[in-house]
Amino acid sequence: MLVLLLAIALGVTLGLLTSVSVPVELLTYLGVAVLAAMDSSLGGIRAALEQTFHDRAFAFGFLTNTLMAAFIVFIGERIGVRELYLAAVVAFGMRIFDNLSQVRRLLFQRWRWE
Amino acid sequence: MSPGIKPRQTLLQLRDKSVRRLVESERAVERSFHEGRLLASLAVGLLLVGFLLVAQWRGNQSFTREIERQSDQDLAIIIQEITGVNVGLRDEVMRLEVRILDAERETKDTSELLNEAAEELDALKLMTGLDPAVGPGVLVRIEDPEHVLLAQDFVALVHELRAGGAEAISVNGRRVTATSGFSEADGHVVLDGMRLTGGYVVEAIGDAGSLEQALTMPGGLESRFASFPGVTTEVERDGSVSVGAALERRMTYGRPVEGD
Repeated sequence: MLVLLLAIALGVTLGLLTSVSVPVELLTYLGVAVLAAMDSSLGGIRAALEQTFHDRAFAFGFLTNTLMAAFIVFIGERIGVRELYLAAVVAFGMRIFDNLSQVRRLLFQRWRWE
Repeated sequence: MSPGIKPRQTLLQLRDKSVRRLVESERAVERSFHEGRLLASLAVGLLLVGFLLVAQWRGNQSFTREIERQSDQDLAIIIQEITGVNVGLRDEVMRLEVRILDAERETKDTSELLNEAAEELDALKLMTGLDPAVGPGVLVRIEDPEHVLLAQDFVALVHELRAGGAEAISVNGRRVTATSGFSEADGHVVLDGMRLTGGYVVEAIGDAGSLEQALTMPGGLESRFASFPGVTTEVERDGSVSVGAALERRMTYGRPVEGD
């Protein structure tokens, strides 16, 4: 668990140190992609707690989720339905909270708080 | 049984135990390997999430800044435009005010001119006797039952009145103008073809005091008329003397010279 917290902290520091800035045109793309990545990470943690984690499945899911999210934004922009990215945002948002609640439940079980 | 020799069953138990421990340790190795991969991949995922979050945050910040800057520029442009329009409008207002002043001056000039012209016209009308006239003046009643007064006496009378500042004069209701002339016919005095009979009434518009004085001064016309037999003269101030218009007269020979 500590390793994971360290990883996210490392990612943030890396981002701060390299001072990478997303171009304005790609803001929506990356925003949805970030949501997808967060969802995938939470899903991975959940799978690990459920003893069903599979590293290849995780990596593949991570990639496809982020790419698909960006692709949905792209499609929306192409066909003139810019609000399509909202669908991705809502879907990923719901999944994030769903995964979060599952992780919480599994952790409570593990630590015998229930 | 010596303590150094173990029974076969015990040996078997020991072997099984070792095998179990071996399997367990192998499983542990495998599990730890598996757990390591799990942790590694999750860590990489979270690292990416953190990195992307920061990048996104920064990009969004710069985007917001850009919007703010843009709107500032827009505002500056709008202000500039409005200022330009303002200056133009101020110029126009000034131009229009100048025009208003010009127009006012012109109007004043015109009305002044008109006033002057009207005054001049009034004076001319009075002088030529085109219109009837009213004003303060004197009324002179002369009784001459024996008809001793001659045309030259009336000429003298009119002359005295004009010298006293008369602006309009009439004798027996007939206006005396610049072209009027007294003559005599059959023992009667004639003014512009009209025979004057009975009591004469001479009306004159002007300063009543001056007119009266012109006639009644010592050695003046009144005293002279009084020396004629039967002639009585009565000079009377009047606040509102009215004289009629002159007869129309067509000018045939003369013609005013234009210019100057």
